[in-house]
Amino acid sequence: MKIVTVVRRVPDVEARVEVDGGDVRVSGAAWSLDGMDEYGVEQALRMREGGLDAEVVALAVGPADTEEVLRTALAMGADRARLLVADDADVGDVLARARLLADAIREEGADLVLTGGKQADADSAALGPALAEHLGWPLADWTTHLELDGTQVRAVHDGDAGPETLAFALPAVVTTQQGLAEPRYPTLPNIMKAKRKPLDVADAPPATPVTNVVGRAPERRERARRMLDGSLEDQARELARVLREGAA
Amino acid sequence: MSDTTAEPPTPTPSTQAPSPRTAAPAATPMTRREVEDTFDLDALYTPEERMIRDAVREYVQSELAPHAGEWWREGIFPEHLPRAFGEMGMLGVAIPEAYGGAGATATAYGLVNREVEAADSGLRSFVSVQSSLVMWPILTYGSEDLKKAWLPRLATGEAIGCFGLTEPDAGSDPGAMTTRCKRVGDDWVIRGTKRWITSGTRADVAIIWARDEDSGRVLGFVVETDREGFRAEDIKTKASMRLSVTSELHLDDVAVPDANRLDVVGLKGALSCLSQARFGIAFGVLGAGFATLDEAMHYLEDRPSFGEPLTGKQLVQAKLADMWSDLTKGSLLAYRLGRLKDEGAITPTHISMAKRDNVRAALQAARHARDLLGGNGITTEYGAMRHMSNLETVSTYEGADAVHTLILGRALTGRAAF
Ligand SMILES: Cc1cc2nc3c(=O)[nH]c(=O)nc-3n(C[C@H](O)[C@H](O)[C@H](O)COP(=O)(O)OP(=O)(O)OC[C@H]3O[C@@H](n4cnc5c(N)ncnc54)[C@H](O)[C@@H]3O)c2cc1C
Repeated sequence: MKIVTVVRRVPDVEARVEVDGGDVRVSGAAWSLDGMDEYGVEQALRMREGGLDAEVVALAVGPADTEEVLRTALAMGADRARLLVADDADVGDVLARARLLADAIREEGADLVLTGGKQADADSAALGPALAEHLGWPLADWTTHLELDGTQVRAVHDGDAGPETLAFALPAVVTTQQGLAEPRYPTLPNIMKAKRKPLDVADAPPATPVTNVVGRAPERRERARRMLDGSLEDQARELARVLREGAA
Repeated sequence: MSDTTAEPPTPTPSTQAPSPRTAAPAATPMTRREVEDTFDLDALYTPEERMIRDAVREYVQSELAPHAGEWWREGIFPEHLPRAFGEMGMLGVAIPEAYGGAGATATAYGLVNREVEAADSGLRSFVSVQSSLVMWPILTYGSEDLKKAWLPRLATGEAIGCFGLTEPDAGSDPGAMTTRCKRVGDDWVIRGTKRWITSGTRADVAIIWARDEDSGRVLGFVVETDREGFRAEDIKTKASMRLSVTSELHLDDVAVPDANRLDVVGLKGALSCLSQARFGIAFGVLGAGFATLDEAMHYLEDRPSFGEPLTGKQLVQAKLADMWSDLTKGSLLAYRLGRLKDEGAITPTHISMAKRDNVRAALQAARHARDLLGGNGITTEYGAMRHMSNLETVSTYEGADAVHTLILGRALTGRAAF
């Protein structure tokens, strides 16, 4: 059995993000493995440690220095990693990215794909569903619990109305939700060993973005910052009015 | 960064000062990462060194730093820590994998020290002693049997080690030690008292230095602490390094086999171990120093005085700029020190200069932070006072500041002035 965990690199929490002429620039930061992708790596490792005979492959598409987050996945315990090198600009489009990844996943002959429920940088939850669509496989998104019985999957995920239990067969795509599997810290000996694990780097085939970005601008949300005064009753009345009619 | 040509604001009498929350324009202070690596040393570390540093940082900041103040106040070194450090692979970072270490560079070991000391110097003391003063001498001077018996267990934290050189009446001048050893048949019999020994009462194994009654030379031994005649008790009156265990060891004719003797003769054996630990300290103290700078920056930004956050005051900025510059210079020094060690070109002079100067920079930063936090700066709710008081120990142990000054003086002039 082969589990592919799709991972991305995102700016770490201390990044300084600036919008400059429609372009987003990130500085003052190191890149790190997207936290929700990390749940997927951890889940794969736990299933293997729980006795599942599986190879765990970390897969990413992105600029050459994405290698460092693949090394993190290897240091956590993945067996092998693969990087498809492409400019962020060419694969910024999640659908184009998903197509490249889906081809690689098919080529790997994967049975199960795990990836983050949502991306920490773009705040998009589209990658998992897009992968499932390209592969024509079932999808469990926002998954908090995952069990395999042969090729049968039982997944608990956060549905709109609360937790739902899904049953389906492999191959499948599963996206993570907090609570699935708290990631381990990579240990120092494993970080050193990761250096010796195979990491294939190859240029990604040309990608064709399907969206056309016209411009980018930071979203600004101003708070009204109004203090209510008067008697408690007046304040309560005014608060009720504001809640009903808006603060303007 | 903002330019300096802005119009000076019209002074407002403090009685009319508007509420600081609306008066202070939003400032964009540097992030902790930017402050800590102004000269982009990150680009010079290997990917493994960066990954090790980041993994340890995450572990320390989530699991240790939030509790350090309480542990220090209560004077406890939590029992679970040695195993937890062992699981992370933080004990014996530069020890070969074959003996249970991580097999990483000396620089990586230094970076681990720095991350651990950002939480507390006492935690780093444990790591230093275990790695540099116990595992290193066993690796370097121990027989294959001793290495196999101890190194893997010390690496997992299953076994704890201590290093006994200092005595009640022999600190800066360890050659004045009165602990004696004597060869009796296949054994050596050791007698004496060691004081200020980190992890002493917790230790399963002690590296003990004693003077041979026959040859007059100093010898080192691996002493299992369950041997008859070995006793340890804690020093409980410390106002510094409170979360680290510091003990007195009594060796009352403890007999150890000759196989437990380290293969080195003279005080240089003990001093070579100290060089390993001092190397780590030159990195470690930067963690404590930068932690106090970070804390002060956050505290002062949120604390208005005379109508604006204290970060907007010149006298405050002067202190912050000094802290930042001194610690940054220390980081550059530590980086070079690390690479010299990785290349095998390091000398005791390099180590003395780096230990002395970086401890000074960190201690001065902590003192500034203590001051800048005002009344809150004397509590254990904040780290400044705790770090400051810990760093007083760091200034004394592993070669007191004066001793390193004299080492530098001797190197410079060729005249020993001890
Ligand atoms: C918390 C803690 C943990 C420790 N852990 C260990 C450990 O694990 N193992 C171990 O072996 N030791 C340990 N030590 C001991 C430490 O290394 C000694 O305290 C240190 O070497 C200084 O020795 P001393 O305390 O005897 O001071 P002294 O040597 O008596 O020095 C007193 C003062 O005199 C100054 N001085 C000394 N000589 C000269 C000189 N020639 N000229 C001018 N000034 C001089 C010193 O700088 C200092 O200011 C620890 C100490 C502490 C506080």
